[in-house]
Amino acid sequence: MDPGLRRDDGLMGDHDLIGRNRLKTAALNGGALAQWRKWAPLAVLLALCILISLFNGNFLTIGNFIRLLNSAAIPLVLCMGATFIILMGSIDLSVEGIVALTAVMVSLLVTNDISPYAIGLFAVPLAVIAGGVMGLLNGLLHVKLKTPSFMTTLGVGFAGVGIAMAVLGGDTVRISDQTFRFLSLGRPLGIPMAVWIAIASVAIAFIIQERTRLGRWLYAIGTDEMTARHAGIPIERTRILIFTVAGLFYGLGGVLSAAQFGQGHALISQGRLFTTITAVVVGGTALSGGVGSVLNSVIGVMIVVVLANGLVLMGVEPYVQQGVQGLLIIAAVALALDRSRLEVVK
Amino acid sequence: MMPPVLELRGVSKSFPGVKALDDVSFAINKSEVVGLIGENGAGKSSLLKVLNGIYQPDRGEILVNGQAIRIVSPRLAFDSGIAMVFQEQSILPTLTVAENIFLGREEEFLRYGLISKARMNEAAAVELKKVRLACHPGTRCADLSFADRQMVEIAKALSLDSRIKGDVTILLDEPTSVVERKEVDLLFEIVRDLKQRASIVFISHRLEEVLDISDRVYVMRDGKVVKELGSGEATVKDLHQHMVGRQLHHEYYREARQAAPSSQVVLSCNGLCKEGAFSNISFPLHAGEIIGIAGVIGSGREDLARCLAGHSPADRGTLTVDGSVVRFGAPHEAARKGIGLVPSERKTEGQVSAFTVAENMTLAALPKYVASGILRFAAEHATAQEWIGRLKIKTPSTATMVGSLSGGNQQKVVLAKWRVAGVRVLILDHPTRGIDVGAKEDVYELVRDMTAEGMAVILLGDTLEEVIGLSNRILVMRDGEVTATFEAPPGGKPAQVDLIRHMV
Amino acid sequence: MVDRYKALLQTFLPVIVLVLLVLLIGGYDPTFFAASNLLSVTADTMTLFLMASGVTLVIMMGGIDLSVQAVASMTSCILAAYLPRYGIFAIPLAVLGGAVAGFAGGFVSTRLRIPSFIATLAVSGVVISAGYWFSDTRSVNIPAELRDSYLGWAVGDTLGIPREIWVGAVFLIILSAILQLTPFGRLVRGIGAQERAVMASGIDVNRIKIMAFTLSGTMAGIAGIVMAARLGSGSPTLASEFLLPAIAAIVVGGTAITGGVGSIWRSFVGALIVQVVRIGMTFMGVSVFAQQIVFGFILVAAVAITMDRSKVLVIK
Repeated sequence: MDPGLRRDDGLMGDHDLIGRNRLKTAALNGGALAQWRKWAPLAVLLALCILISLFNGNFLTIGNFIRLLNSAAIPLVLCMGATFIILMGSIDLSVEGIVALTAVMVSLLVTNDISPYAIGLFAVPLAVIAGGVMGLLNGLLHVKLKTPSFMTTLGVGFAGVGIAMAVLGGDTVRISDQTFRFLSLGRPLGIPMAVWIAIASVAIAFIIQERTRLGRWLYAIGTDEMTARHAGIPIERTRILIFTVAGLFYGLGGVLSAAQFGQGHALISQGRLFTTITAVVVGGTALSGGVGSVLNSVIGVMIVVVLANGLVLMGVEPYVQQGVQGLLIIAAVALALDRSRLEVVK
Repeated sequence: MMPPVLELRGVSKSFPGVKALDDVSFAINKSEVVGLIGENGAGKSSLLKVLNGIYQPDRGEILVNGQAIRIVSPRLAFDSGIAMVFQEQSILPTLTVAENIFLGREEEFLRYGLISKARMNEAAAVELKKVRLACHPGTRCADLSFADRQMVEIAKALSLDSRIKGDVTILLDEPTSVVERKEVDLLFEIVRDLKQRASIVFISHRLEEVLDISDRVYVMRDGKVVKELGSGEATVKDLHQHMVGRQLHHEYYREARQAAPSSQVVLSCNGLCKEGAFSNISFPLHAGEIIGIAGVIGSGREDLARCLAGHSPADRGTLTVDGSVVRFGAPHEAARKGIGLVPSERKTEGQVSAFTVAENMTLAALPKYVASGILRFAAEHATAQEWIGRLKIKTPSTATMVGSLSGGNQQKVVLAKWRVAGVRVLILDHPTRGIDVGAKEDVYELVRDMTAEGMAVILLGDTLEEVIGLSNRILVMRDGEVTATFEAPPGGKPAQVDLIRHMV
Repeated sequence: MVDRYKALLQTFLPVIVLVLLVLLIGGYDPTFFAASNLLSVTADTMTLFLMASGVTLVIMMGGIDLSVQAVASMTSCILAAYLPRYGIFAIPLAVLGGAVAGFAGGFVSTRLRIPSFIATLAVSGVVISAGYWFSDTRSVNIPAELRDSYLGWAVGDTLGIPREIWVGAVFLIILSAILQLTPFGRLVRGIGAQERAVMASGIDVNRIKIMAFTLSGTMAGIAGIVMAARLGSGSPTLASEFLLPAIAAIVVGGTAITGGVGSIWRSFVGALIVQVVRIGMTFMGVSVFAQQIVFGFILVAAVAITMDRSKVLVIK
């Protein structure tokens, strides 16, 4: 049954819809505060850089900058997918599962110490497609079974880690294919290959976002799904496609993880979900959907990476990172909080 | 003779408990402007939704140029030459003007699978020229004024004109309710301009405007088309007479039981303001008094009611309850001060449908039914029994789920809830919406009972008739301000026309 | 009449599934039916149930708590780290830690008006770090004599029944009573069924929500203590495999994630189902690693079955 029909049974609903739209509009325009919010992530990033360089002279060196970019590469690739999904108003908790699965898959397909395949770089598109298939599964289950995305992706994500574990039986596979490892370790023009790949991913994501129907529709869906539906946008198909595209990015993230560490392991992706969501939210993309951009997420990733780098430079224990990221999510959401809204939030 | 561009024949549509459209027939000829009027709930919006493919009619048929068609989605309506201009609600603030105009129809701007923004903006500029809106098509709609967004909405409908071979019908739903006078003039110019190319259905509360712009007017009431008039032969007064239909009868609203309020002020507003909703609202409310608030959609009366019940705080001004100044941040703070709201959306806000009658009745007064941390089920049951008897609620037992009762009985349970809680001010937002005539009378009786016991009531009636019949005093609101106050003692009730003059 | 049978069937479906599963496994291996085996299976399920029990309240409210596994791990660390120093008082300290973490999740979710899954996810990040801090990033052993003197209530037998079962039963009764007999329980149900109506009835909805999250954290804390008592150690990753089974247990038991419907005994039955399925898979030779795949899909399927779609206009 069309949800539009159900909404309107009885005589309620319309008022609600108009009201909601007004609220969203009110939240979007409105003066200096909105302007400030728009630039806040960039300001935070600059402030962080200045602050850390004051404490530590090693921060503002070319070497450290390249190190920063290198550690930003994988989160950037993952964030491109996650941003799309959050812009649509959904969430994807399957990042770690898909990354683990594809990392293990690609490391078993290149020259390694467990399996005999050794198909070299052909393994890369296969792993990326495997990520896309997992994303497609997310989308299909979410749309066809009509289950909320956070539950669906939680289940699929666990299944992904489960597959990675089951394939390796909990072991680690070591990669000996140096061509493959070039994907992360090679340094054309002195910049790590992973960074080039991340830059290409951002460019592709930006084009999808700005210049394709898919990109425009995901904003429409995230802003107001009912209106988008009435405009004739194929909501279900768009949702499934977006989850698939996100899966492709996670697949690429898995490939880069395997190339970086030179091994495949089911726990290779631990902590990735957290970093990804933190970066997207801190970058200024709203969890409610419709507001934000992949470029915001680039800034978000840099904030997370710079902060982590700064903490390391200051000698803070590594296990504190996740706690700091948790606080970052809370702080970012608190700053973006629009107190004029009074909506039910579950 | 040419068949009408768009025609409805015997269209009916029912929802559980409500007949939204009852055998409606309706026709628009080429290059004609047809007005459609009716009170809230008369069936105008349902009719529009049927035409726009959001609702499917239960019976009857829709014909375009004499051909019967089935409209299953707004997109299909669009492709059949029917475009609807909602009251702003289909403009997405996060997209640009051009993207909004062509949302869902980007195919024509694709090149190698990518959207050409330049070409889309160019095409949008053509449409914007038609509505004389001077903004760049690449502007985000969030940055436009309210009226400009309305124009974008109209431009979106007009974009149909150059893309469809057949005739075009444009449905304008309350296009003037939120715009300024000079924009109304502009809109009318555009509509007259449009007549060359399209047929137009114009829906408005503002009867003068309808008469001004339309060639013919349809009047709807209770889901039926009750009158069709040429606009030359009608006056505002006629239209109104047909809209309301019947004369007031005193007995219906229990006017005989209307008592003079006491002199004790229980609640008073002083210069209450809320940005974008209402401003400078001042009035005292006495024990035993019913104050009715009249106004059209967008008058700010709903916002005011919700503000008084603590659902949204006011920006400026003071609210005094029992002599002390209060400021509510949430509904529970208002409830603690003895103010309750019977909301218009009963099914989502009024009752918990999955709770039993007893559970709903005690919901606002739970602490009274707790002994050493445990609920006193026996006491709760007794209270529910008592109120079922007092309000003559038809329910098999106190343990019946409220969702399974009829609308009238559900509303009585909601009223009982606030009476169990012992509130002294009750705000009734459309208390008789969607319930049948007999139950309405019961509700009126109950309202009289409450005031007889000294409760004060603020009433946002479903119809003007209801407001006039029940209230001791009536405030008329327009554009967020109180434009007139009428005393309404029994036997000395003001006329509806007088109120309407201040409403629109 | 048909509706009534349907409703009855829906209520007892989880129980029927559980019985069928038990019969199935018993058919393969009759020793499964031995009283001692059934008791030990139940005892093994209790930590899972304890974790799921508190989250049940949050899910009934229409929210979710994704921080429970982090909270249980952290409290195991608090317990193991402070038992030598503070003795018995380390237990309330650990429970308090769980309560504070739960409160934080509720506070962030309600005050900042963000969906509970993201709020609790953010809080769990902080909680994980706290766990590492308390344990100094390693697994902390609980000396046997301390375990015997302070944690004996959670291990061993009483009246021939493992004490884990007693602990589980006590909390089953307490939480059921809270849910069925107190105004708090009723409001939890009301918020899940129709939050706006409860709010409009003058209830401080945020307070109730924060209480429920606090209770969820508290129960996760208690689960962490029982786990530490059974294993004889606390570790910052002790419960990290428990989130999926805990949520699966709740949903499989028949509590809908859309809120409003559910009960503690359902989660009890759900936890048993999860445990029995796990045993069944082990019987059939499914690897421990692959079981997670199955649970992932069981979770999605159970959500799809129990969800009340009329309540959500747009499924995001």
